[in-house]
Amino acid sequence: MFNLMRIAVRNVVRNKRRTVITLLALLIGVGVMVSVRGLLNGLQASMIESVTKGQVGALQVHRKGYLKNVLSSPLDLQVPANEAFLKKLAAVPHVIGVAPRILFGGMINVEEETLFVMMFAVDPKREFVALPKRRDTFSAPAQAFVTGSSDEGVVVTEELAKGLLGTKRRDFSAPTAILAPDRDGALSAENAKILGTMAMSAPGEKKIALVSLALAQRLLKLQGQATEVAIAVDDLEYGPQVAADLRQLLGDTYEVHQWDEIALFFKDVVRRQEIMLSVIASVFMILMLLGVANTMLMSVLERTREIGTMMAVGVRRSKIIGLFLLEALTIGVLGGLVGGAVGLGVVTYMGLHPLHIALPTSPVPFVVVPFIGMGYIASVVAIAGVGALFFALYPAWRASRLRPVEALAGG
Amino acid sequence: MKKTVILAVLACSALWAAPSFADPSAEELMKKYDQLMGPENFEAVVRMTAHRDDGTLRSYKMLVLKKGDDKMRLTFQEPAAVAGQEMLRQGDNLWVYMPNLKRAVRLANRESFQGGDFNNADVLRVKYQADYTGSVTTDPALPNTWLVELKAKAGANAAYDHMKLWMRKTDLMPVQGEYYTASGKMLRKAEFGDYRAFATLTRPGKIVMKNMLATARWSEMRWDSLNTSINPAPTKFVLDDLGK
Repeated sequence: MFNLMRIAVRNVVRNKRRTVITLLALLIGVGVMVSVRGLLNGLQASMIESVTKGQVGALQVHRKGYLKNVLSSPLDLQVPANEAFLKKLAAVPHVIGVAPRILFGGMINVEEETLFVMMFAVDPKREFVALPKRRDTFSAPAQAFVTGSSDEGVVVTEELAKGLLGTKRRDFSAPTAILAPDRDGALSAENAKILGTMAMSAPGEKKIALVSLALAQRLLKLQGQATEVAIAVDDLEYGPQVAADLRQLLGDTYEVHQWDEIALFFKDVVRRQEIMLSVIASVFMILMLLGVANTMLMSVLERTREIGTMMAVGVRRSKIIGLFLLEALTIGVLGGLVGGAVGLGVVTYMGLHPLHIALPTSPVPFVVVPFIGMGYIASVVAIAGVGALFFALYPAWRASRLRPVEALAGG
Repeated sequence: MKKTVILAVLACSALWAAPSFADPSAEELMKKYDQLMGPENFEAVVRMTAHRDDGTLRSYKMLVLKKGDDKMRLTFQEPAAVAGQEMLRQGDNLWVYMPNLKRAVRLANRESFQGGDFNNADVLRVKYQADYTGSVTTDPALPNTWLVELKAKAGANAAYDHMKLWMRKTDLMPVQGEYYTASGKMLRKAEFGDYRAFATLTRPGKIVMKNMLATARWSEMRWDSLNTSINPAPTKFVLDDLGK
């Protein structure tokens, strides 16, 4: 066996041009697969960061049954937003921030214009400590919301600002009011002031207004209450553990969900990306393996005399098959290793020079830091090896079927 | 001879067709509905009770004032949370005056009226003749009624895309109504009841509005009093007068 391996390697090295071309095909295929995977890893990590540090948080606490009715954003399923309750949550290990919020449907009025809006009430002092990312999408004047100096401040999406003010009048100074049915259904209103705009940070967030928790509590008659608490953790890895701890701490009255149970669109996006990646990967893989098959077939045709000689001196047909398979395996693994190394190099380079990608769903560029796991590279190398072996089956079989006399005669 | 036969046939067909001359047109029925439910001028004390999903009730009491075709003002008296809130309609425009803001804010017709199952137009814009076109048929299920099918006029400020209205044949009182979206989904179903004589007008004293999207909810509107013989001053129907 070892001997056969040695002969196989020698054979591969012997025909340099052919080997180099095949290795190149493998190198490009594996290199592209590794690079694309690395890019996707970075993209997904960046999306997770945007979701967990800008929108949803790592976990959320609601009153039991809230998520089932989330579309109607019910106000009667409340969570306390008082110091004692929030301290209790913050004391759970790995929790680094707690942000009480109220989600409610309402209207925003500027002069003659009144529009329906999804309102998102946050406590600026806690929200941007726990989830610092959203404020990156704020316009300069909207940054005043973060300091929370006045609880009348409102930050609206670009689209909402256009609807309220028209494209020409860029004046936020007109009298503004927030209206909504309060917890009893009675229409309630509070004065407000639009500070500035924010970019939409998730698909579907078109008509959203950010208001202060204090304003919402007054408006909705929900003093001391919220409808959800977003939880930030030091490392997402501890998500499940924190969820378990919170459930034990809070009991049956409340429900705890991790970010990926809430940001359902994320799973969808990831699924689509994975499908795309596997299509690209399969195409490259098949192309490069066809290259290997072609090389092996050429090799068989060119080396009929050699095969005939081997057979004439008593080498068994199974050994011939083994020899050609081992040659293919050698090329596959070698090409995989070189391709993996090149891919790793590309991903590492891109990791050191992060990409700023503009997505159609978000005007804020995504900073993508590609990275790759050794496990993925190892699996691609293994696939290249096994695939080459598989695609060499036919050429190897052809070689073993040659008749020694004819092979020696060159035909 | 021939002539007499023709005459006889004509006479018979005229006789036979006679009752159909008495059939009211859709316009007449809509006019009747508007006269009953939105008389030209009136002052009324109305109570609305909203039955909510959780089984609790919310009750409101309001004073409603109407002048002419397109001016209406509604002042909430109870409960304390909304006392002093006023709503004003001038033609197609609708405002709500919020006492804590000390100013009026423009509203849309299709918005829910105080979180109940009526929308603002149901309460403040009874003007079917202006907003809808109609056709009359009968409904085998309710043989003693006319079924008026109304369709919102293009460009009209109507609250529903189309609706069905059942009116009693005997006195043309509304019996029930169904209100639909453009896609044909039923949003609300109204039942009229408590027919009684107010000072100058006999009409339903109660509407029960069922929410067909959230079937655990419904709202009830009841008229404590209704006086159509007044003529309020036009100055009552301007934005500046709200809150005074």
